[in-house]
Amino acid sequence: MEDIRSIAQITGEALKQEGAEKAQYTVTFKETHEFNVDGGEFSLFRTLFDNSLSITAFKNQKKGSAFTNKLDAAAIAGTVKECLASADSGIADSAYDIAPNQGKECFREGSYEPDADKLFERTRELMEEIRTNHPKIVMEQMIVSHVKCHTLYQNTNGTEFEYFRGEYSISMMYSAHEGNKTTSFFGSSVNTDNLDKPFIELGSFAKDLCDVEAQLTTVPVEGKFEGVAVLTPSSLGSFIYSAVSNFVADSVILEKTSIWLDKLNTKVADESITVSIAPTDSRICCGEPFTNDGFKSEDYNIIEDGVLKSFMLSLYVANKSGFERAGNSSFSLIMKNGNTPYADMIKNIKKGIIVGRFSGGNPGTNGDFSGIAKNSFLIEDGEIKGAVSETMINGNLAEMFNNVVAVSKETVEDGNSVLPYIAVDKIVISGK
Amino acid sequence: MLEDFISGKKSLFTTGVHTELRAQENKQRRVSLVQGNLTANARLETAGVSARVYKNGVYGFSSMAECTGAAAETVLKAATENALFMDKHIQKGKNIFPPIAAGSMPLNKEICDTEQKQYIEFVKEVDAYISEKYPNLASRSVILSADSMEKIICTSDGYDGHVTLPRSYIYLFLNSESTSGVPLELYQPIGGYGNFDDIFKDPSQVYADVDALYEKLMQKREGVYAEAGYKTVVLGGILSGMLAHEAVGHTVEADLVLGGSVAGPALHKQVASELVTMVDFAHTALGEEAPLPVYLDDEGTPAEDAVLIQDGILQGYMNNRESAEHFGVKPQGNARAYGFSDEPLIRMRNTAVLPGEDKLEDIIASVEDGYYLTNTNNGQADTTGEFMFGVSMGYEIKNGKLGRAILDTTISGVAFDMLKTVDMVSDNMVWSSSGFCGKKQPMPVGMGGPALRCKVMIGGR
Repeated sequence: MEDIRSIAQITGEALKQEGAEKAQYTVTFKETHEFNVDGGEFSLFRTLFDNSLSITAFKNQKKGSAFTNKLDAAAIAGTVKECLASADSGIADSAYDIAPNQGKECFREGSYEPDADKLFERTRELMEEIRTNHPKIVMEQMIVSHVKCHTLYQNTNGTEFEYFRGEYSISMMYSAHEGNKTTSFFGSSVNTDNLDKPFIELGSFAKDLCDVEAQLTTVPVEGKFEGVAVLTPSSLGSFIYSAVSNFVADSVILEKTSIWLDKLNTKVADESITVSIAPTDSRICCGEPFTNDGFKSEDYNIIEDGVLKSFMLSLYVANKSGFERAGNSSFSLIMKNGNTPYADMIKNIKKGIIVGRFSGGNPGTNGDFSGIAKNSFLIEDGEIKGAVSETMINGNLAEMFNNVVAVSKETVEDGNSVLPYIAVDKIVISGK
Repeated sequence: MLEDFISGKKSLFTTGVHTELRAQENKQRRVSLVQGNLTANARLETAGVSARVYKNGVYGFSSMAECTGAAAETVLKAATENALFMDKHIQKGKNIFPPIAAGSMPLNKEICDTEQKQYIEFVKEVDAYISEKYPNLASRSVILSADSMEKIICTSDGYDGHVTLPRSYIYLFLNSESTSGVPLELYQPIGGYGNFDDIFKDPSQVYADVDALYEKLMQKREGVYAEAGYKTVVLGGILSGMLAHEAVGHTVEADLVLGGSVAGPALHKQVASELVTMVDFAHTALGEEAPLPVYLDDEGTPAEDAVLIQDGILQGYMNNRESAEHFGVKPQGNARAYGFSDEPLIRMRNTAVLPGEDKLEDIIASVEDGYYLTNTNNGQADTTGEFMFGVSMGYEIKNGKLGRAILDTTISGVAFDMLKTVDMVSDNMVWSSSGFCGKKQPMPVGMGGPALRCKVMIGGR
C-alpha cells in the first residue's frame, strides 16, 4: 500500500481528471490495541490495522460522497468515479460548499505510540482495585484501548491539515450484586493521553463504583410529586445532548422545527448556564483540530450566561438558513461550574432525586421528556435516603434549563467533557 | 462479490487451538432528502480480513483493511501472538471447544448493487408525492438506506461458508403540530431483507404507506395525553417485538448472564404467563424465511433456533461456543460480528414472541379502560429486565372500543413481572428489521410479536 501522501495525491489527481469542481478528501491510517474483560475476566486482546479514504466532491453545485478502505490506485480511481457519479445524479444546491483556503497545518495530540504492556498492567491494577475495594461489583464488560491515528485532510482550495493523535480509553459496564439483590447496570468511561495515574483515579470511576454499590439498598418512592432533580455530570451530558439535538442541531434548523429558531441572542436558560463546545480546551483529550467542512476548529459557546449564542451548524445548513456556522463540528462539551459545593446542593433540597442515568424515550421536538430514573437516589430534607427503583421522571428540556436551582463547584473531567452537577426544580417524579 | 482469498490459508492454522479466519465486505448506500434538500448522498464500502484464535480460555484477534492473501497471513500471525500474550499473563487453562461437525454453507443470496442515480430518483419521486399531496405538513424527510454484509468464513473446527445479509429500506418521517401547538413526528420504515431492486420496483408501491402514516399523524394532531399510571394495555406487535428483543433478549444473552443479568437465577423458572413463548429464530420462522435470516455464524456454527421461553418457563440462553461449553449446551449460531474488524459477539437474530389464539379485535373489545399502543420510536432495557419504550402512536380504549389517539408517551416495567400479566395473545404477528442493535458493535436484527394484553406503567405527560 502507498504512503498517506501518495494516496492523497492519487485521490486529488483522480478528482481533477473526473471533473470535480471542488472536493475535499481525508486519508486515515489507524491502529488499535485493545484489551477486553468479560464477566470480570480478561478475555481478548485485539490489534486492528485500519485505513480509509473519505471523499466529498462537487460538480455543477451538486454533491456526492464516498468512503472506502481499499487504497490501491485502481480502487481509488473507482471510488472517485462513484463519488462523481453520485454527485452527477444529485440535486443542485448553491448552499453546498467547503472551507476556503485555511493554509497548511500539522497537529499532534496525546501519546502517539501505545505502551501495550503498561496498558495491560493498568487494566489489571484496576480490576484488582475493584475486586478488593468494591467486592459487590460484577464487571459485565471492560474495554481498554489505545488508538493511534494519522489523518491527512486536503481540499481543492489549498487547505491541508495533518493530525497525529494517540489516546487511551477505558470504558466499563457493571452492576452490583448481593444475595438476591441486584442493581441496574451503569457505564463509566474516560479518555486520556497518558498512563501516569492508576485508572481508578480518573474521571468519576471511584465515585461511580461506590454509588452503584450503594444502589443495592432501595427506598420506595410513594406517589407523584414535583421536586428538584440533581443531574450528575453523566446524566447531565445526555440531557444536554438531547437538548442540542432538539433545539440547535443541523436537522432541526433545516426543518425549522426547533423551538429556539428565533431565540438567538435571547435568554433561553438560567443565567448560571454557560455551555461550550471546546475541542481545544486543555481538559479535552485529543480534541478535533479541524471541522468536517475543512475549517480550523475554534471553541464556541452555545449558551453564554443563559443567552443563546450559537446553533451547532455545518457550513451547508449555515448557508441554507442564513445563520452562522458553528466554530467546530465536535461534541467536546463543557459546562461552566458554579459556586455551590455539591454537599450544600444536596443539603438545600427538601424533596427530590439525584438522577445518575436517564433511560427515556427520545424527547419530543418541543423538549418534553419522560423516562426512568436509573442509578438514582431519593433526597428528603437535605439527606440522601437511598436508591430508588421503578421511578419515572418527566419534564421539559427547555423549561428545565430555566429552572436551575444550583450549579456545583465540582466538575467531572473524563477527557470528552467537563461537567458539573446541576440541580433543577419542577421535575415530576413518580413512584409505582 | 467478495473473492475467496482465505480458504487456501487454512494450512497455516496452528494445531491445538481454535482458529477463525474471515474475509468480509460491508456496503452502505444512503440518500436523505429533508424538506426536498439532499442532505446525504453517499456510498460507503469497507472490506478486510480478520483472524481470531482461542487458546486456553483467552482470545487473540487481529484485522487488516486489505483483501489479500498476505493480509490473511499477517492477521493469523498477529491473532496467534495476541492469544499467546493473553495466555502467558492470564493462564485460565481452559480446554479447547468441544468439536462440531465440519461442513460447508453455500451462498444464500447474491449481493447486487444499484446505481446511486436510481436511488436518488426513487427518493425524489416519493418526496414529490408527499409534498404535492400533503402541503400542510410542517416538514418531511425521505431517507433511503441499503446496507449489506458479505462474509467468507473459514474455521479450524466447524463449518466454512460464504454468507450475505443485504437489507434495503425507505424511511418516511412526517412532522406536524397538534391542535394545541405540540410538535409531532411519526416515522415508518418500509422494506426488509434483500437487494434494493428485489424489494422496490416502483416508488408508487410506498404511496399507500405514506397515506397511512399521514392519516395516523392527523389522528395524532387531535391526540390527548395518556393518563399516567399502572394500566391495562394492548401492546401491538411492534412493541411486543421490542419487548422480546430489548427487555428479554438481552438479559438471556449468555455473556450478559455471566455479567450478572436477571436471567442467571431464573433458568427453568416461570418468568412469564403460560401464554408466552419466545424464540430467537435463525433463518426460518413459522414456516417462512425469517426477516433477516442467519445461516452460519462467525465461529463456524450452523445457525438453528434458540428457544428462550417455552409456555412461560425460561428454557435457555443464546450462546457462543465458549459460553455453550460453560453452560453445557449446544451452540446455536449466535456469534456474529458486524464489520471485518469486529470480533464475534453473542447477538440475537430474529427474536420474537410467538402468536397465540386470540383475535386482535376481541382483545381490544375486552379492555374496559386502557390503551392500544402501536408504534415506538425508542426502547431501552436494563440487565435487570427493567425496560422503557417510547410510544409514538397509540389509542385510548374505552369500554372495548378504540378512542382518541394519544400523544407521545413512554411505558415501563420489569420484563419478568410484566410478562406474567399477559392474559391474551393475538393470532397474528408483526415483524420489524430496519434497526441496528447496539452492543459494542451495531448489528442488524429482526424482532417481532403478536398483540399482547398486559399491564404496564404508562408515563402520561
